[in-house]
Amino acid sequence: MTARDLWLRVRALVFHGRVERELHEELDFHVEMQTRRHIAAGVDATEARRLAHTQFGSTALVEDRVRDARGIGFFETLLQDVRYAVRSFRRAPAFALTVVGTIALGLGLNAGVFTIFNAYVLTPFAVRDPYSLYEFTWDTRGGRFHRFTWPEFEQLRRDNAVFSDVYAERHQLVTRIDGHTAYTLLVTGNYFRMLGVDAALGRTLEPSDTAAPGREAVAVLSYAFWQRQFGSDPAVVGRTILIQGHPCEVVGVARPGFDGLSQTPPHDIWVPVTIDPLLEDGPSLFASNPPSRLGVVGRLKPGVSLRAARAALVVWAQHATEQLADQDKAATARLESRATSVPLSPMVMLALSPIAVAFALVLLIACANVANMMLARGLARQREIGIRLTLGAGRRRLVRQLLTESVLLALPAAAAGFAVSRLAVTGAVSAMLATMPSEFVEFIRVAPLPPDWRVLAFMIVAALGTGIVFGLAPALQTTRANVVQMARGDFGSDFGPWRLRRALVVAQITASVLLLITAAVLLRSAQRFANVDPGLRTRDVISLDIREPFRAKVLEALAASPVVLAIASASTIPLDASSPGVSVALPGRSDVFRTRYRFVSPGYFDVFEVAIRRGRNFTLEEARAGAAVAIVSETAAQQWWPDRDAIGQSLRIVPDRLVRDATARIGRHATVQVIGVALDTAADLGQTGPFHSAIHLPIDPTASDTGLVVRVYGEAEAARRSLDRSLAVAAPGAVQEIHKLQEFVAGRLYPFRAAYWVSGAVGALALLLTISGVYGVLSYLVAQRAKEIGIRIALGANASAVVSLVLGQSLRLAAIGLPIGVLLALGAARIFGWRVMMLQAFDPLAYVVGTLVVVIACVVASSFPALRAARLDPMTSLRAD
Amino acid sequence: MTTQHSSIDLLQGTLDLLILRTLQGDPMHGWAISDRIQQISQDVLQVGQGSLYPALHRLEHRGWIRAEWGVSELGRRARFYRLTPAGRRQLDVETADWEKMSGAIARVLKLA
Repeated sequence: MTARDLWLRVRALVFHGRVERELHEELDFHVEMQTRRHIAAGVDATEARRLAHTQFGSTALVEDRVRDARGIGFFETLLQDVRYAVRSFRRAPAFALTVVGTIALGLGLNAGVFTIFNAYVLTPFAVRDPYSLYEFTWDTRGGRFHRFTWPEFEQLRRDNAVFSDVYAERHQLVTRIDGHTAYTLLVTGNYFRMLGVDAALGRTLEPSDTAAPGREAVAVLSYAFWQRQFGSDPAVVGRTILIQGHPCEVVGVARPGFDGLSQTPPHDIWVPVTIDPLLEDGPSLFASNPPSRLGVVGRLKPGVSLRAARAALVVWAQHATEQLADQDKAATARLESRATSVPLSPMVMLALSPIAVAFALVLLIACANVANMMLARGLARQREIGIRLTLGAGRRRLVRQLLTESVLLALPAAAAGFAVSRLAVTGAVSAMLATMPSEFVEFIRVAPLPPDWRVLAFMIVAALGTGIVFGLAPALQTTRANVVQMARGDFGSDFGPWRLRRALVVAQITASVLLLITAAVLLRSAQRFANVDPGLRTRDVISLDIREPFRAKVLEALAASPVVLAIASASTIPLDASSPGVSVALPGRSDVFRTRYRFVSPGYFDVFEVAIRRGRNFTLEEARAGAAVAIVSETAAQQWWPDRDAIGQSLRIVPDRLVRDATARIGRHATVQVIGVALDTAADLGQTGPFHSAIHLPIDPTASDTGLVVRVYGEAEAARRSLDRSLAVAAPGAVQEIHKLQEFVAGRLYPFRAAYWVSGAVGALALLLTISGVYGVLSYLVAQRAKEIGIRIALGANASAVVSLVLGQSLRLAAIGLPIGVLLALGAARIFGWRVMMLQAFDPLAYVVGTLVVVIACVVASSFPALRAARLDPMTSLRAD
Repeated sequence: MTTQHSSIDLLQGTLDLLILRTLQGDPMHGWAISDRIQQISQDVLQVGQGSLYPALHRLEHRGWIRAEWGVSELGRRARFYRLTPAGRRQLDVETADWEKMSGAIARVLKLA
């Protein structure tokens, strides 16, 4: 296609009328010239004109052929089809509206899901060249995930062939600033420069800020945090804020739209990594024996492929770790893109696929419904289409016109779907925030979910796709008519897209069954989960996570507080974090048992009201000394000493080699003696199910690295607030987190509740669409077989025989769809069931309920057409035609 | 129209060639083109309007001829076609092709 050609086509399209007039004029001129020629030859004027016209032939035909030659037929045909379609929609507005509404619903929900997916997985961070940023780590031979030490980072920065620059970050801190949660990231000074992020106010961090440890601490705020927390006050620069109790001077605010390379959660504050020694009680990053606690992100040099980089970095890592013990040597290098919040990896896609499939099923069901309606309409238009086919219209041309119609319906549906998706997204976010346990809302940051070009592109592609999906089959079906038959004027008898319509309904039933079974499984799991007795008193217990230097002050303040009834320390807070596992060996026996352990102070059993069934609690002296004694759970006692009294038995603890941090404390306990047996507690709900076998080991109530739990007087939320307030006075900056234990229970339950609400809603929608699909198909069936039913009634069939004839049809469809749906659900359970604990994927009751609901829906949907069939007047239906 | 040798319908490619050749001189309108072809071929070649105008528009789309409105000998507006440089090149190519083919056909008729 040349430029000239394109221009002529555009001109023909835009100045359609003018181009047509010109063509007409050109041909007219020809005839005029010819007429003159005849007149000049002596023919009289009227005859000359007639002769010229005859010679020329049909002007219209020539014009048509010129148009064909110009090749603009495509657009013109399109325009013609569009005009025709709009006219026909205007004649049947209810049909058009129903189609648009149905598709809008399906498209809108899918676009809503895509919007969220887009925000987290597809939208790159607003930094310079995000797609060249990779986080680099490696797995050790011992299977551990490596984090960098400071010297390792320095070495990587100095000599590597693949990154043009590298920055290091320490995992984020949860800080409380004026009672609000802020996520703080410790980074090296080149962070902002490398990402290409400027300051909106003041300055960002500079490499000089992290030149040496111990420089005065500065902080940079995110724009959003500055707006939220400081009301966009420009005087914030120069102010001092407390990070974990340490004063940091605010030197600037980063430019808007930058929240760090993380959406989960976005970062609020950046401070130089060199303040690490202030925050750590143990060895700091810059100590002689530095801990590994840095993540490292590098920018790949231009032209370095990911594969080459990985290969080079494996060598680098192996070289860097060759002095270490065998199990600490690097095995593989990992390079993970940091361009988006969630990298687009096969694992992520697998995890998200059930959601995508569920919503896509709704859209498909909607399409099936619309296709069914189009088929029914096709029947009504069969006469028109038949006549056109008989008159020689090309089938391809007719299919194209019918497809234009469906795409034309899909486009407004896309527009409406866009509105639906905005509603769905904002509705879902506010519903989530409203139903979430209140204390967690503080920690949740929902990424901005704007509809960007990707969402729009998704809408348009999905709309065109659905238009073709719901339009193609009916279009092919409708135009397959038998021309010979139609030439005889017979438009009805052979037209039976019956098989296709049945297949569509079967597919709908299958999808509904699948979705409803999933919803039922989730609902039952949530119920089961809610009913699990944690074995702990939770309703008036509050947990605190505090900063180490303030421990003594906090304990003192808590002891003095009037609302505190009991205080205890524990290495892990029950229901919050799962306690670590350990192997236990019994003297004189060869087998080793897995169990979970928790270090607790004596007050623990009082705070949580865990009864010590036999034996006794730890004494304070034992706790302070970290004596070699243990209290085991009932299950553990029964499991390990089924025929003996557990009290007085001894057991040997075999710590896992890989759990390094815990090794320090658990390693001190080699052989312990059982002094008590406590009631079982389901301390680790959700992740591993009720895990009863557990041992408790004593710990000093003032020991570091422990969480505090207190039982309070009166209403828990009021007590939590008053404690938070009084501690903010007694020990400012000490409290990192303070939660009601009940919130942890609710928090664990929440994903189940959310999941079953979503799957229930999706399933209900699918069911609704299926009901209308079944109704439509059977209504059609009754209409089509009216004559036959009329004959049956005339021959003496009673109402119940007719009703069961129709119901039988619907149940026959269900009989195909149901087992397929159940099989798919079983398959899905096999694939995804293992990913979520406490989920009983093969719950028979859920399967029965899901199936029954669909059967009932089918019966209800077909009962109306069935009754209509039973009331048919045989005389009328026989006389029709 | 002569009775001895009936007029010959033109093949599409041949018509294109004749139009291009006819337009080698001054710009012409459609009627003049058909008239010229008929005259020069001594009425052997009849250009039907049903194929002339589609061919003109097709050649215009190809960029070989360019159309402009001008005033005709009747004093009336008419669409004049003229050869573009690309059309000139195309004419050379087609003429060469035609000569090669007609020569070949002539040889076959003579010798086969």
